[in-house]
Amino acid sequence: MRAALTATRLTRRFGERVAVDDASLTLEAGEIFALLGPNGAGKTTTLRMLAGLIEPTSGTVMIGGESMTRASAPRLRGRIGFLTEAPGLWDRLTVRQNLMVYAELHGLDRPARAVDATLDLFGIRDRAGDAAAQLSKGLKQRVALARTLLHEPQVVLLDEPTSGLDPESARDLRGLVLRLREQGRAVLLSTHNLDEVERIADRVAVLRRTVVALGTPAALRARLFGARIRVVFDGPADAWVAAAEGPGILERLAEDNRLSLAVDDATLRAPELVVRLVGAGARIQAVLPEEASLEQVYLRLLEEGAPA
Amino acid sequence: MTRILALLRKELVDIRGNRSLFMPALISGAFSLLLPFFVAVLVPALSGERLSDSIDFRVALELYRAQPITTALEPEAAIQAWLFQQFLVLLAFTPITAAMSVAAYAVIGEKQARTLEPLLATPISTVELIAAKVLGAFLPSLVLAVGCYLVYLALIVMLALPGVWTVLLLPRSLATMFVLAPLATLAALQLAVCVSSRVNDARSAQQIGALIILPLSGLMVAQLMGGVQLTAGVLAWIALGLGLFNVGLMRLAVVLFDRESILTRWT
Repeated sequence: MRAALTATRLTRRFGERVAVDDASLTLEAGEIFALLGPNGAGKTTTLRMLAGLIEPTSGTVMIGGESMTRASAPRLRGRIGFLTEAPGLWDRLTVRQNLMVYAELHGLDRPARAVDATLDLFGIRDRAGDAAAQLSKGLKQRVALARTLLHEPQVVLLDEPTSGLDPESARDLRGLVLRLREQGRAVLLSTHNLDEVERIADRVAVLRRTVVALGTPAALRARLFGARIRVVFDGPADAWVAAAEGPGILERLAEDNRLSLAVDDATLRAPELVVRLVGAGARIQAVLPEEASLEQVYLRLLEEGAPA
Repeated sequence: MTRILALLRKELVDIRGNRSLFMPALISGAFSLLLPFFVAVLVPALSGERLSDSIDFRVALELYRAQPITTALEPEAAIQAWLFQQFLVLLAFTPITAAMSVAAYAVIGEKQARTLEPLLATPISTVELIAAKVLGAFLPSLVLAVGCYLVYLALIVMLALPGVWTVLLLPRSLATMFVLAPLATLAALQLAVCVSSRVNDARSAQQIGALIILPLSGLMVAQLMGGVQLTAGVLAWIALGLGLFNVGLMRLAVVLFDRESILTRWT
């Protein structure tokens, strides 16, 4: 199947400064892909190149198998929905007027009907007559997302979609993004919110000018931290560090009544470990799989600058 | 065309909600409307001197008498008619001022409100975007020009000598107000759009766009000094020059509107 979006060896220079260097990624239909990176890592520049707003210095962007060129960009932009970091609504226009302008700019056959359907889909019909200036930040972001999806794009690019939103608005917005995946759209999400990525992203790319790492959150965890097991004792864990030694045990860290172990294969090593510890007289309360948080993975990647 | 109309509608709604943009134009309009009445009606009434007693005005009148419509007027009325026609150029400044205020914000306003990036992410082309921006400033200024002209005409009917108002219906007067003024307005606002694509503050755009007022002011002074008579031929040449200038400016505006630098250098 053809990828919804393919970026190959994208580089963008602004004078002497290299904003993005040799970044490649592929986005499939029905996938939520998160782009992580510190401030100034080139996320927004990458999104702008993918959205056809700025040209890469070198490299290519393909949307549904069609190459983005100066000539094809206006047409291909019609297949992309780009939610910019700021909602960018015209304050003096009503919600409906804002959406109508975009429906017409995208050349929709029945713009008024499309706007009505979108207002219903996003649950904002009751605010359709309100000026955008009167909306809360969360509602503005919701209207901006509605505007982004009005023309039913196959590729959706979201730049910091939940930045500055309250938890309830952020949750609602995440729900809308998950619905996009169900509809088979390809979603690329740039964010600093690792918890959000953990909840909704199928794959992650860490960008620091170039793609430092790319994969599913689980694969990145396994690659950087391996499998881990946590054993909780009825008493201090220090006493059982030596007894935990054995085949496949790579690292042992005791803290209070918890022993954290890096292992080569958690499924295989956990039963063996329990047998050894119980045999040595340990009283075990729980044995749990231990996962590094995505935050740990992200920070480790940035520290190491690991290649993709 | 659909995209131009869509954005034009938005511009007009946006302008309607931001009436303070027209305040400079209203002040300029009021000044342009009242000044000729001050010179042609109020000063003679207060001083008790007739305009036709002035040697300077009589010389001007001799030149002006070439227009058939004025031969039917008494000397005093003919001088009033001459003055009201000369000041029409001043009235043309009103739509220019209005257009400048709107156009200077055309790109900078969008950028400052952070509405430009989502707009550029649509299939709209640069030509469509600029056309909508220019028309969005031009149409209200045209309405203002018609409004000013009608008020000017009504005030002349009420305050000037009988028959003076007929000079405002001469082709030369109509051409000044509805050909020369719109073309100059178009040039001024295209200049403002060009500049607003390259600078970060609306005032710079307004100041540079306002340069178009200089040749018009010169034209008015030259007229009053008797150096230039705005005959049909002169007006046609000026209109042709302004038309060509506008075509050139439209092309320049498209070239200067660099999406990338607007997005990446303005923070």
